[in-house]
Amino acid sequence: MSLETQTKLAIYRHFAETGQRPSLEVVAESVGSDVSSVREAYVRLRAQRVLVLEADGVSIRMAPPFSGVPTQHVVIVGKTSYFANCAWDSFGIPAALHRKGRIHSRCEQSGEPLNLEIGLEGPPPSSWFFHCLVPAARWWDDIVFT
Amino acid sequence: MLFFRSEERVREWCAAHGYPMRPLVTMDQLWTLATTWYSTRLQEDSRRPKPDEMRSIFAGLGLGGDFWDPQSDTFG
Repeated sequence: MSLETQTKLAIYRHFAETGQRPSLEVVAESVGSDVSSVREAYVRLRAQRVLVLEADGVSIRMAPPFSGVPTQHVVIVGKTSYFANCAWDSFGIPAALHRKGRIHSRCEQSGEPLNLEIGLEGPPPSSWFFHCLVPAARWWDDIVFT
Repeated sequence: MLFFRSEERVREWCAAHGYPMRPLVTMDQLWTLATTWYSTRLQEDSRRPKPDEMRSIFAGLGLGGDFWDPQSDTFG
């Protein structure tokens, strides 16, 4: 398995197990490599759009659907709490983990809380909507805004 | 990518910010998108859908047109 794939799996598994982003050093130790090589793998993973880094080039902002920083979209799975990058990704966390979960978010206009149980087959009937402002072709121009 | 309580709340939010209103996505459609994108994300061979696959996924949910086309140049 390539270092790139090992790095991706180490990052995602850390998020899945803890709900938190791993440091560069933790990922390097997990894959048995040096931080310089792992940092290079980060750059390649960013090009594949499976990783978004902070300006320092090493702190993980996003490993979609997981967020490395607090957001308004919180997902509870078992006893672990996760932050999702957006509404789409809040559904993505139970989907990625193949587990039931509870989503806590809000209506962006009214602030009304959204508390939604997600089963293994998805959400219950709901009259809420998802709205994406940015066209698909422009999502990665500024993925944090998207 | 945000949640809204109703179509009216989306309309109010777009008007308040001067944004165009985009096609609405139901919770069922969103679940399909989420599972399609992420159900294999923790696996070794996972990858994001390619543009033609994205187009097909969106079309299968009735989400068509330039807005959902990952290679559209309409929005410059």
